[in-house]
Amino acid sequence: MIYLQGIQKSFKKQPVLKGINLKIEKGEVLTILGPSGSGKTTLLRCLNFLEKPDAGMVQIGNIIVDSENATKKEMLAIRKQSAMVFQHYNLFAHKSVVENVMEGLIVAKKVKKKDARQQSERVLEKVGLSDKLNHFPSQLSGGQQQRVGIARALALNPEVILFDEPTSALDPELVGDVLAVIKSIAQEGITMVVVTHEMSFAREVSNRVLFMDEGVIVEEGTPLEIFHAAKEERTRRFLQRISGETFFTPLKEQVN
Amino acid sequence: MTIDIPFIWVAFKEIIKALPTTLILTIVPLIAGFLIGIAVALVRVYKVKYLYQIANGYVSFFRGTPIIMHIMVIYFGFPLLLDQISLKFGLGIQTNKIPIILFILIALTLAAGSYLSEIIRSGIISVANGQMEAAYSVGMTKFQAMIRIILPQALAQSIPNFTNIFVGFLHTSSIAFLVSQKEITGAANIIAGVNLKFLEAFIAAGIIYWGLTILVEGLSFLLEKKVTAYNRGGVS
Repeated sequence: MIYLQGIQKSFKKQPVLKGINLKIEKGEVLTILGPSGSGKTTLLRCLNFLEKPDAGMVQIGNIIVDSENATKKEMLAIRKQSAMVFQHYNLFAHKSVVENVMEGLIVAKKVKKKDARQQSERVLEKVGLSDKLNHFPSQLSGGQQQRVGIARALALNPEVILFDEPTSALDPELVGDVLAVIKSIAQEGITMVVVTHEMSFAREVSNRVLFMDEGVIVEEGTPLEIFHAAKEERTRRFLQRISGETFFTPLKEQVN
Repeated sequence: MTIDIPFIWVAFKEIIKALPTTLILTIVPLIAGFLIGIAVALVRVYKVKYLYQIANGYVSFFRGTPIIMHIMVIYFGFPLLLDQISLKFGLGIQTNKIPIILFILIALTLAAGSYLSEIIRSGIISVANGQMEAAYSVGMTKFQAMIRIILPQALAQSIPNFTNIFVGFLHTSSIAFLVSQKEITGAANIIAGVNLKFLEAFIAAGIIYWGLTILVEGLSFLLEKKVTAYNRGGVS
């Protein structure tokens, strides 16, 4: 279970998160939507202290950290509760695919090298990359790299996996593969928080959708509630614009 | 004046005997300086309290003054200092028994440390920020991330710069002959003076330096190819 209370964060006196309260149940798949600059990525990064909140309390599993007085040790402890999949993959460039997945197991979880390798190979099989174990990230396509990123997170068997726009940097034709992998993980009952612009993914996979704007949670509900019966004007406007864009893009391309 | 071509070979055979000294004067300072360089670079990248200013001052001073001056100051100043300390505490150190090469090695090491620290620092900054974040996200401490993720990439990328410094210091070691350490340039100077054949002797010395440099460049090329294989993409 994840519990956030009064999370605040400013960058250079510009408030980005204005007191976020949030509870995420075990096994829940939560999607965060919102226009750029709404604070959704910052919120995600506050969960594992890649950004240290200015105020508020973060709880993941049985680790509770008061962010104002968070020590390095506490931050490390709470980071070990989660794993993250990044927009730009951020694979360890000098390590092979299997080493990328093993790294966290060996260093942070103190798993023996041999066992770590076995576990890693198993997870990589799950994301369909058994034939790329000894490739370097630079030899893979974006979609393959992101699947390694997902395997790296999955191998740690964390309380929650945080996805930061996992498909935003991918070629459109590769998005499907990666979403399929995320979807299959979601069905295994792993808690996930996903920041995304993929509306279809949010609609089909998540249990709950959260709409953020200007540093606050504007509205939350089931996908059905948000996509078909949003209460707030801002949510409706956002969704309309997004669906409007996807509707008009092919036409625009024809004109050009 | 004519040039005595066969004497170049004679001088060559004589000068090459000083090669070990030149190699010691190059390799020892670079290895010791490398360790200093890593420490200084980390202190400066992470702005470690108190040490940060010292590291800044160190780099600024040693890069801002000629190496020949470091050698002179240490060669003439260090014995003086040691004598004073020895006298005060009755240690009985006889500074004239200390081999000259030690002073030169200390001076070159301090200089190498300052140059190498800047190379390592630029290597560290050039590693994308996302690498550190990814290391944090899998539960590494800052130290673990540094040792296992950042430094290996930073150092691999710095190989061409290291080669540059190596070649530079190979040639800088010739300064040692000013304080009568007989390395390649010193040996050339002696054989030139004895036989009054300066041109031939220095051509011979030049050939040795150039040969060494070509060798080092070749090795560095192979090393770079091996160590940065991860970066080149394509299918292996």
